[in-house]
Amino acid sequence: MYRFPSDEWIKAMMQELNQSQSYKDAAKNWEGDFYFIIEPGGTLSETVVLYMDLWHGECRDAFMVGTSDGLNPAYELRGPVNVWKKVMTKQLDPMQAMMTGQLKLTGNMAMVMKNVRAAKELVESCTRIPTEFPV
Amino acid sequence: MFGKLVKINLSNGQIHREQIPPAWIEGFIGASGLASRLLWDVLDINGSPLDPSCPLLFATGPLTGTAGPTTGRFTICGRSPQTGWWGESNIGGFVGPELRFTGIDFLWIEGVSDRPVYIWIYNDQIEIRSAEHLWGKADTYQTQEIIRREVGIPQAKVACIGVAGENLVPFAGILSDHGRLAARTGMGALMGSKKLKAVAVRGTQRLVMERDEEYRKLRLAANKRLLEQNMTAVLRSTGTAGGAEYLQFLGDMPQKYWTAATFEGAEKISGATMAETILKGKTACQGCVISCGREVENLHGNYPTNGAVKGPEYETICAFGSQLMVDNLAAITALGNLCDRLGMDTISAGNVIALAYLLYDQGKLTEKDSGGLSLRWGDPAPCFTLLRQMAVQEGLGKLLARGSKALAAAFGEEELAVQVNGLDVAMHDPRAFSGQALAYVTSPRGACHNQSDYFNVGLGGTIDEIGIEFTDRFNPVGKGEQVARHQHWRTVCNSLTTCFFAVVSPSEILELLNAAMGWDWDIPTLLKTGERAWNMKRLYNLKLGWKPENEKLPKLLLQPLVNGGQEGNVPDLSTMLEEYYQFSGWERMSGYPLPWKLEDLGLKDLVVN
Repeated sequence: MYRFPSDEWIKAMMQELNQSQSYKDAAKNWEGDFYFIIEPGGTLSETVVLYMDLWHGECRDAFMVGTSDGLNPAYELRGPVNVWKKVMTKQLDPMQAMMTGQLKLTGNMAMVMKNVRAAKELVESCTRIPTEFPV
Repeated sequence: MFGKLVKINLSNGQIHREQIPPAWIEGFIGASGLASRLLWDVLDINGSPLDPSCPLLFATGPLTGTAGPTTGRFTICGRSPQTGWWGESNIGGFVGPELRFTGIDFLWIEGVSDRPVYIWIYNDQIEIRSAEHLWGKADTYQTQEIIRREVGIPQAKVACIGVAGENLVPFAGILSDHGRLAARTGMGALMGSKKLKAVAVRGTQRLVMERDEEYRKLRLAANKRLLEQNMTAVLRSTGTAGGAEYLQFLGDMPQKYWTAATFEGAEKISGATMAETILKGKTACQGCVISCGREVENLHGNYPTNGAVKGPEYETICAFGSQLMVDNLAAITALGNLCDRLGMDTISAGNVIALAYLLYDQGKLTEKDSGGLSLRWGDPAPCFTLLRQMAVQEGLGKLLARGSKALAAAFGEEELAVQVNGLDVAMHDPRAFSGQALAYVTSPRGACHNQSDYFNVGLGGTIDEIGIEFTDRFNPVGKGEQVARHQHWRTVCNSLTTCFFAVVSPSEILELLNAAMGWDWDIPTLLKTGERAWNMKRLYNLKLGWKPENEKLPKLLLQPLVNGGQEGNVPDLSTMLEEYYQFSGWERMSGYPLPWKLEDLGLKDLVVN
């Protein structure tokens, strides 16, 4: 089991993504690194920021960062930990979370709209990681 | 007080002002909801939609022009020349707000002029002016410019028809501003039948809400929240065509006149590609923070734009793109603009041309029929000729201008026309989202996505607060209730009028409406008003002879496409309709609301027996 959100979890996620052929196919045109910002809830008392460098179907690096200052990634996906949990346990469709504003996305939307399938595959990969949530 | 109505009779030039009874406003709110009640009283079931006595109604809602979230819209209503049923077409831009700034909420136009005219409204002054110099000569953009010069007020807003409306093309629309079009159901033909080229308005009155300061605070907060929504960012960046790749992947985007499962060219014509290539600027309706309108420029190639022009919306990239297997964004832009200038609905125009391509592909329509045009999939060139022919009713265009049903029938293939109750199906394939099929067949204006964009719920646009939830997109079970709820909610939106692209919760809308009108409604009251207006439009159609047998999909949409995003789904209408009727309180055999439902909605007195 990997504790979410944590450095070990995002590294497990990197490994999972790099093993996923369907992610490779869907994200073959994707360029851009991400902050996944998990806001407090349950036993999570402080905001946690996870970083992923995603490039043409591959995850080149992933780690937890102390604050959201410094790396200035191309995209940011932010939301409360309970929403992340719902998405990662398939209780909430990721597109629904985005369309209803439960998860907030910033970045180049033209690139996002060309790669919605990649985003869905990325979430699919999340659901395959044995995860322990703080809520 | 909201509900000020001006009636203009173009036969005798008489102008009459009245106040709509407050009870009707509380019963139907405004815009198309209230218009259905107003037009019910004058519906002549023995007449034609183009009879002089059939009114054309410009209808605003109580939020129109108030700078609330996406409240720049209004609706143009009447009996549809295209379908023969209830007609309504909502339109953004600035004309609706400007009309309210003159002190008019509803503009009722009846009769027929003996010569082409336009109406000029400047605050409380109303003039009927000659349009003989415009009729047959000026396109929709030229008309706006000429009229603005004539009235001498650059801020004047103009809604006008093009050559198509003058020539009574059944799917002619009414255009204003930077390419905003009341496109569907042929309101442009209704306007043309009255020899009315345009309505120009300029008002300088400030709209005062019943609880004005409260409204001001609410609208600022609501706009701020709307601005922060993901959907707003997507629409702002990529326009309404931004979802093309994903919608194609899901099988929602129609291709090759509804017969192909995939289209490799979707990426080349999408809003995202537009943003990365030819986008020059963005446009917005009055007070809107989204700015989904596109301004594009093509400097090179076969279709140069000679400056910035309107970029195509999602429906147009399907109409002149995927439906014809055309992957040339410049050509689609040019065709969309030609359609706007001629004043035609791109959905119906594109659909009927795509049907001609299909008939040509099947060897049924030949070059003898087309005047030598080769209608080959992927080639946009013949469309320019066909659109011009349609607008002036010449050549093959004369037949195409009669609509897809007439075209299919002319070649002995009536079943090939992809329309529901006379309206060509909007560019959301119901095989991708079963609930959209139900929304199409029960829509009072035919196969329209602006009575319920239920496909959006299937994409994730749920409205949990009023029980509209995320469900399996193919499964018919539960869709009857879900779609009915969604239609009632969207009827509220269409009565206000607000845009479907706005992610604004029913609670926020309710607060705004209460402050605007000085009401203290709750959510159930709001939704019941939507249901009442929905039933009112149904009664209008039932009076015209609508039967439950009308509620069916065309043949092509009952054929599965197995290799794409639809995964071979064919909507199970029978299951959904049973549930829908039960939830709606409608009688299965006659289609009428049951007596208890009529009583509950306060509509009992409108139905005899």
